[in-house]
Amino acid sequence: MGVILARLGQSAVVLLVMSFVIYGLMGLMPGDPIDLMIAADPHLTAADAVRLKALYGLDRPWTERYLRWLAQIGRGELGYSRLFARPVLDILAPAVANTALLMVASLALALMVALPLGIWAASRPGGWIDRAANLLAFVSVSVPTFWLGLMLMVLFAVQLGWLPAGGMHSLDDGGGGLVDRLRHLVLPTLTLAIAGTGQYIRHMRAAMLEQAGLDYIRTAIAKGCGPTRVLLHHQLRNAAIPVTTIVALEVGGLFSGALITETVFAWPGMGRLIFEAVMGNDFNLALSGLLLATAMTLAGSILADLAYAWLDPRVRRR
Amino acid sequence: MIRLLALLSLLLLAAPARAKDDLVIGITQYPVTLHPGIESMLAKTYVLAMARRPLTAYGPDWKLICMLCETLPTIDNKLAVPEKTADGKQGVALTYTLRADSVWADGTPVSTDDVLFTWEVGRHPQSGIANAELYRRILKIEAKDKRTFVLHLDRLTFDYNAINDFALLPAHVEKKRFQAAPAEYRNRTAYDQDSANPGLYNGPYRITQAVQGSHIVLEPNSHWKGTKAAFARIVVKTVENTPALEANLLSGGIDMIPGELGLPLDQAIAFAKRADPRFAITYKSSLVYEHLDANLSVPMLTDLRLRQALMYATDRAAISKQLFDGRQPVAHTAVNPLDGVHADDVPKYSFDPAKAARLLDEAGWTLQGNLRRNAKGEPLYIELATTAGNRTRELVAQVLQAQWKKLGIDLRIRTEPPRVLFGQTLTQRRFPGLVMYAWYSAPESVPRTTLHSSQIPAEANAWAGQNYPGYKNPRMDQLLDAIEVELDRPKRVELWRQLQHLYAEELPALPLFFRADTFILPKALKGVTPTGHQDPSTLWIETWRWG
Amino acid sequence: MSPAQRILARFLADRPALAALAVLVALTMAALGAPWLAQDPEALDLAAMLTAPSWDHPLGTDELGRDVLARLLHGGRVSLAVAGATAGLAALLGTLIGLLSGTLGGRVDAGLMRLTDGVMALPLLPLLIVLAAIDPAKLGLSAEALNSEGFAIGRIVVIVALVGWTQVARLVRAETLSVQARDHVRAARAIGAGPVRVMLRHILPDVASPVIVATTLSVGHVILIESALSFLGLGVRPPLASWGNMLTGAVGTVASAPTLALWPGLAILVTVLAVNRAGDGLQRALDQRSRD
Repeated sequence: MGVILARLGQSAVVLLVMSFVIYGLMGLMPGDPIDLMIAADPHLTAADAVRLKALYGLDRPWTERYLRWLAQIGRGELGYSRLFARPVLDILAPAVANTALLMVASLALALMVALPLGIWAASRPGGWIDRAANLLAFVSVSVPTFWLGLMLMVLFAVQLGWLPAGGMHSLDDGGGGLVDRLRHLVLPTLTLAIAGTGQYIRHMRAAMLEQAGLDYIRTAIAKGCGPTRVLLHHQLRNAAIPVTTIVALEVGGLFSGALITETVFAWPGMGRLIFEAVMGNDFNLALSGLLLATAMTLAGSILADLAYAWLDPRVRRR
Repeated sequence: MIRLLALLSLLLLAAPARAKDDLVIGITQYPVTLHPGIESMLAKTYVLAMARRPLTAYGPDWKLICMLCETLPTIDNKLAVPEKTADGKQGVALTYTLRADSVWADGTPVSTDDVLFTWEVGRHPQSGIANAELYRRILKIEAKDKRTFVLHLDRLTFDYNAINDFALLPAHVEKKRFQAAPAEYRNRTAYDQDSANPGLYNGPYRITQAVQGSHIVLEPNSHWKGTKAAFARIVVKTVENTPALEANLLSGGIDMIPGELGLPLDQAIAFAKRADPRFAITYKSSLVYEHLDANLSVPMLTDLRLRQALMYATDRAAISKQLFDGRQPVAHTAVNPLDGVHADDVPKYSFDPAKAARLLDEAGWTLQGNLRRNAKGEPLYIELATTAGNRTRELVAQVLQAQWKKLGIDLRIRTEPPRVLFGQTLTQRRFPGLVMYAWYSAPESVPRTTLHSSQIPAEANAWAGQNYPGYKNPRMDQLLDAIEVELDRPKRVELWRQLQHLYAEELPALPLFFRADTFILPKALKGVTPTGHQDPSTLWIETWRWG
Repeated sequence: MSPAQRILARFLADRPALAALAVLVALTMAALGAPWLAQDPEALDLAAMLTAPSWDHPLGTDELGRDVLARLLHGGRVSLAVAGATAGLAALLGTLIGLLSGTLGGRVDAGLMRLTDGVMALPLLPLLIVLAAIDPAKLGLSAEALNSEGFAIGRIVVIVALVGWTQVARLVRAETLSVQARDHVRAARAIGAGPVRVMLRHILPDVASPVIVATTLSVGHVILIESALSFLGLGVRPPLASWGNMLTGAVGTVASAPTLALWPGLAILVTVLAVNRAGDGLQRALDQRSRD
């Protein structure tokens, strides 16, 4: 219990340092949205620019703005998004929900394919299943996501006309029912799942084989354990360690890393929101979004360690 | 199990037919705020033009028209009266009368209360209004009655009666929100807090739903007195990625892609070449002026012969023909041929490599091997910066590089994200050579901010102005000053002609093209008239209908 | 047979891995030899845009009339250089940090792992975007250096490696901890082997295979990251060709000129497949436990 508390405390420190670094990096990005506005509209005068920069506080040094932001967070306020002119929470909440939906669906699909396939492939190394799984894994990690997404879209939405090309739901009858939402979920989920499944297959297979070569498995076989029992009881339990770690660590990454898929399928999620906020110098929104994504990853990492300790008795002993 | 799967996939794959009394428009940008005055953004202008009417606007024929007012005040019809301002300068008093049938969508008539309130917001330094130039010019507004008001401006320019930027706000909805805390107004406005409030809109449609980052739904304004709106619903959907936008069009997810915020030209032309029978494609040459700014503080580029040589070395006609299928006309000055003040007799730089070579020799850049060098042995090395991710510009830059290489000019291309390029490279004049980008403008818009010598950004003037090349010519300053206040049109056209001649002779910037917008519309959709200037086609959306 | 010979023999017996290695070598040679093998990748001919394959242009021409094969080979130089350098740099950083953390333990371990957690917790894509948008001129580099091709590539290598070393570090640390608990390491310790000796003789060989798996995968991963950055307009920028920006550029017109998207896509696929398969073979050859 104490260990967990310590980890949580450390995570808080990581978040604090992170917020500083990100604020600084964004501060180092040249230009600001007011400059962009002027470039797009020659009628905007320099006087307008000076007035707007002062209004949004963009004329202050970034360290000062950071401290002010920190104080604001200390009061428990996330503040207003400069871009959307609404409270940060109002903007963030729907994006989080949308991304979570996409994340859970694609992770579930990827694992549903990868885990059995990885175990199966490892049960007969070099067999045809192993080769097929290997090929699938290789192809999965070798395809650029944006290309995959667009090709799936061209195939299923344009050529076959089976599925919608983008968005979260159709706009008829106040937003469509469950079936309609599922139809819209298929292609982005498939894209993310295909891109993610390969590494799970590889890790699962590698972990299973790793265990197969260890002494205790051979001992178990020598003692007369049946192959299925060895596989499920001994090998799988220990092979689960690295795989769980990988999955737990992936969760946070998926949270903001679905940017490309979200862009291609016009899915209003976290990745796109953070991208827009960063590019638009919307500090309140960008920091809240990035910190949330970071917190998710940190939580994943703590979970991974917990799982590690729970599954590997050797670590517990240390 | 199998049967269940089959059933499920059947359910999922059966595409529902869409009702035909709606229209789904796909654009590449989501309007971040819906307030008409805060943040200047193309997507917002496009969407709001369906739901709100400006007092005045440029029509599809590029002429100024009244939209919310009854008559355009002119000196001839006595509604515009030149007057002296308190400090003795030449000003003007303009009388506008709001149309009797203009009504906010909740039934409240549009009145002079709204006019006065808008001005109050517009001139408040903390209200967050982006373009406050017009409000600064207004000295006083007198409300004669509920519909008629007199506007006193601090100067008399030829376009005195164009108050397109006066973005009328509904006092009955916004006044309380503004007066409670002006500095917080930008975060409290009903346009973003309560977007579906009908009282915010006075156009043929009103916004009924805005889903952040995804889409905006508009429905007819029941109080609209003009031409009846034809669609039960209009949906504006955002798909940022243009190949995905095209796929959405082909799969029926959206009905049309407008030219204002649609496909890049090379993609649109490829689309047109496939001749999909479902769609009609319209190209509209626009006021978006693609050009190269040359940094005139760089010694090499101050030499006019070098700039002229660069023009002669560029086969713009071939680029237009091969890359843009002839849709993007070559520019000779900053003034579009569709503009009433365009002069056609300016010097033109057609492709002439021999002449380019001669000019380069004269300027002291002689060919040594493959590269030109000056007397000091320095190579003719020019850097061209442009926006990363703008495919059309990246292609043009690479063609320039290849064409100039044949003349011994070493052009290096550097692409920067727009925020970097417009953030400092350009605005603080840090570019060491050329920059390729575009200006958006209105018809007969005076290029004061880009050409007047007082508009050169520098540390001393807090980087104000947009004369990024650093062009200085007293004659140009005179012309700009004279055009602005010349009310007599024939005289003004003559001044414009002189300005264009000067521009073409001196090349403060190297003109390339006027951008063409591509409208991809379903064949059945009628009534869409592309404008080619900053007032979008959606200002006339009540004429759109399924034919 | 010495252990090295045994490893070599095992690798040579693995036909698919050998084939993958051959493909990889061929690709690398072709990319390295691009200046001599292919035409000028920037020479364009507006009169001959999007032509079909011919004797002069074996893969046809692109949207500016440039030779697709030449661009593919030159793009390969960039993509492979970026991927190789990044994966190598990341693996080096990661192994070093993982080993230190795992063997030294205590405060060093805690500190390094918090650093790893911190960097790992950074959302990769948004961070890359921020890093890619930073003005390099602020770092005090000369204008000359900023315009060189080396800088364009180096920038991406450093950015991606700076955030890419964490997976290797964690894998190495975990493996180190696990290995240290094994009898042979404890035995070595018991007979008085120093920490450096234990690290080099007993731990490094054992952690080599996970590092190889991770690095192999990351080579492919970096090629994909570069293409994703190109997709967002922040990757290797034109006129310098990379497979990523060639693919991104071609995707918009894929319906009218499908082969333009085919070649860079295929190049990425084949390269990543080959790298992975060859790495896999190497792993099997190195991993004595799986055969002995």
